[in-house]
Amino acid sequence: MVNLTIDDKQVTAPKTATIYEAAKLNGVNIPILCHDKKLKPFGACRMCLVEVEQMKGRQIPACTTPVTEGMIIRTSTPDIVKARKMVLELLLLNHPLDCPVCDKAGDCDLQNLTYEYKVDSNRFTDEKFHHQIDYNNPLIERDMNRCVLCGKCARICDEIVGFGALTFINRGIETKIGCEFEEGLNCEFCGSCISVCPVGSLLARPFKFKARFWSLTKQKSVCGYCGTGCNLTLGVKDNKVLTTLYDENQGFHNGQLCVRGRFGYQFINSDKRLTSPLIRTNGRLTECTWEEALTAVASRLGGGNSVAALATPRLTNEELFLFKKLMLDNVGSSNFDHSAGYAHAALTEGFTRSFGASASPASILDVQKTDLLLVVKTDSYETHPVIGFEINMGVKNKGIKLNIISDKRGKLSKLPGANTLVHSPGSEVAVLNAIAKSILDQKLSDGSAASIPGYAELEKSLAAFTPEAVAATSGISADSIQKIAKDYASVEKALIIFPVGQSYPGHNQEMASAVANLAILTGKIGKEGCGVLCMSEKSNSQGAVDMGFYAQNGGMNGLQILDACKNGTVKTLFIAGENPVVSYPNGANVKAALDAVDFLVVTELFMTDTAAMADVVLPACSFAEKEGTFTSTDRRVQYVKPAIRKNVKCKTDFEIIAALIAKLGGQAPSAPASVFAEIAASTSGYAGMSYVSLQSEGAFAPVNVTPKLVASKAAQTVSAESGKLVMVTGSALYHSGTLSQFGEGPMHVCPEVYVEMSRNDAARFKISEKDIVTVSTATGSIKLKAKVTPRMPEGVVFIPYHFSEAPVNAIWNGSAVTVVSIAK
Amino acid sequence: MNPITPIINGLSITLKHLFMKPVTLQYPDERPKVAARFRGLHALNVSHNKAKCVACYLCPTVCPAKCITVEAGEDDNHDKYAAKYEIDMLRCIFCGYCVEACPVDAIRMTGEFELANYHRKDFIYNKERLLEKK
Repeated sequence: MVNLTIDDKQVTAPKTATIYEAAKLNGVNIPILCHDKKLKPFGACRMCLVEVEQMKGRQIPACTTPVTEGMIIRTSTPDIVKARKMVLELLLLNHPLDCPVCDKAGDCDLQNLTYEYKVDSNRFTDEKFHHQIDYNNPLIERDMNRCVLCGKCARICDEIVGFGALTFINRGIETKIGCEFEEGLNCEFCGSCISVCPVGSLLARPFKFKARFWSLTKQKSVCGYCGTGCNLTLGVKDNKVLTTLYDENQGFHNGQLCVRGRFGYQFINSDKRLTSPLIRTNGRLTECTWEEALTAVASRLGGGNSVAALATPRLTNEELFLFKKLMLDNVGSSNFDHSAGYAHAALTEGFTRSFGASASPASILDVQKTDLLLVVKTDSYETHPVIGFEINMGVKNKGIKLNIISDKRGKLSKLPGANTLVHSPGSEVAVLNAIAKSILDQKLSDGSAASIPGYAELEKSLAAFTPEAVAATSGISADSIQKIAKDYASVEKALIIFPVGQSYPGHNQEMASAVANLAILTGKIGKEGCGVLCMSEKSNSQGAVDMGFYAQNGGMNGLQILDACKNGTVKTLFIAGENPVVSYPNGANVKAALDAVDFLVVTELFMTDTAAMADVVLPACSFAEKEGTFTSTDRRVQYVKPAIRKNVKCKTDFEIIAALIAKLGGQAPSAPASVFAEIAASTSGYAGMSYVSLQSEGAFAPVNVTPKLVASKAAQTVSAESGKLVMVTGSALYHSGTLSQFGEGPMHVCPEVYVEMSRNDAARFKISEKDIVTVSTATGSIKLKAKVTPRMPEGVVFIPYHFSEAPVNAIWNGSAVTVVSIAK
Repeated sequence: MNPITPIINGLSITLKHLFMKPVTLQYPDERPKVAARFRGLHALNVSHNKAKCVACYLCPTVCPAKCITVEAGEDDNHDKYAAKYEIDMLRCIFCGYCVEACPVDAIRMTGEFELANYHRKDFIYNKERLLEKK
């Protein structure tokens, strides 16, 4: 810490702080246009000029000058105010005064400063710019006439997003922000550039002219898409969510969002939302009252184990807890699950046996604190983009070594120094085992590793996984495996991350144990910057596991439930928010099961393919309309409060389940708060939490680890016979589950399913970009658009799973790797 | 005092007023002349055959009676215009703040004061009705 004086006030600030940061820390506001907390100092706008007594007569930029001991700083002398006025005059010389029609008005830094400094006339005259405005982009409107060249958009796109879509082009007075070859934006559309723009140069097109900034109510919430647990500020007007707003002080991510979080909110107020309970009469779903619908449902819930339930892990902890209670106590069935069973197996089976806890012993914050990152699958970026941003920042700013084991290359492989090992699809567990074997062979394991239970068995089971043997099947050279083992074991802190989800059946308990073994063998666990982070797929996947909403004590898991529906053992199926027809493997089988089951109840926001098959459909509420808690992938429990009032004809899943409990003669809880009190009392790690304590910011539920080494079995590698390709499924960057299909933003950018293939394969099959190709397997065939990219290795194709139109489960039976044939 | 005097005084005043110009108006046969600054019914100004209003929402923001409803739209040239502009005359207090706030001189107040009507809905003046007063 250094001591300094700011405006006659004695203050202290960290040694690394700039004058601007030191002032802000001590409550002195220095005006600035080109600074953002997350970005490196740039010094473009010259608004933050201050005087330092030691540097007599000079005005120096506060944002780029580091503090030194004994500095005496003045932030607003008459000279400084004069200089700032001049800067504003010069900016306003070219900036059009179209505030009445500019959506930024009210939130515009330039406008606010112009008012603050009373710049109401201009001594200079010049012509305004006449740059062409980009109206064509569906998400980001670029009007470079309003630009003040602060460079924040270009910097955030480069430093944090790592895409580099925008940059300064031309020189001098001609300088402007533009894209490559002056073409339109063709990027990830995360909208980070919009969030930091101090003027109205970059605007969210979906929000264009919808409302003025000052008429929006700012409602804090937690994103309902993936498991990262990003905090959102929703802009609400007239009970409608109109936009997401930027708050640089929100969450671990400092307000940074991905395309789904920023532009995927439209499903909340969609016209397609269900607004009335529906009941099937004479083969058609017709509207009915809640009483009729709930009575009909309650009358079919009495069958004990012939009743089963599937819930989406987008429900709150309270809803899942209550749902489980309904199933166990009132219905008397232990057949309930979420995400088909395998999507959470890494936590419930893998980590449970390896760590003695069904949660990750690491947090997202560890990404920045580690020395080496081992990422399994480049898809980690696509499934959890905001964690991807953290990786970008860590690698670029802190020099974290990035090692990637993946079946394809991806955006993470483009980071500086990234070491990507591309293996044949499905061999990731073998590769991880080979790394473990190599650690043992090179005697790199931690001294205490030998005393950990299971060491001897592991050593024995790893005998088959010599780097040389695995190199032959996986396509990664033995040297690379040995090097990665050495790198991983020799650094002080290392973190492993891998995504799980419905489209990653290979990321199961075996993989979880395999990565856990690496961390345990090298003692990289239980320390800051170390551990294993299993990135759960949906907003409350970790919570669903914590609440125990999965098959336990002889209950059937998701896929078994569907089989039981088909053979008649399960007569009533209650689906809360899941869309198995699209997202579970083997769609035809799922459809047959839902057809066969006697009574199907679905609570949903939309008439999904699954809801369309139901006997009773109950309209539920989205995350923006209910109260509860979400547990993010690193077990951060966050409070969600209603941002808007729900439609009076809809009920939250909490209310639906509570009403059913009452109908079945149970004691229904009155409010989510009372259920959360029960959760806090009964769930490990949640003790002491309450809505009051969670309201300002979330709290981590600690994970107690008892390490055990477990031999993990590697899957058989699949090789395609000639003329065929192997298919891997996964997540597309713009989507999350099947819900994002109802968000207009994601659908603007990625409206339909595609098959991604390498250039060589495309040439071999004479397929070019956007050709319609037929992909077929033993299960079925679908027609898809082709996408030819350099990231796919030869012989491998990738198909994302989110879409109801041509769902990948028509050709996919749930295996990690599928052999497909492709024809034009 | 002579008891007759006050009567005569009174009658003289009456007599005087008999020959003065009357202060009342024979409304509706006679029409009052409203002052130029009178704040009557609003009108939307027109320029180049369209309303000048750019839907900046300053009038609904400043309106103390919250009687103005604006909804912006995007026209073919990607410009902002008022797709909906409504004033609820039952709530309006004719303070004239909307006129004062308007940055583009799109709204003025006319001398029109005869606003009585039979139905509540008729007091809601939409964009077309406000534009009629050229």
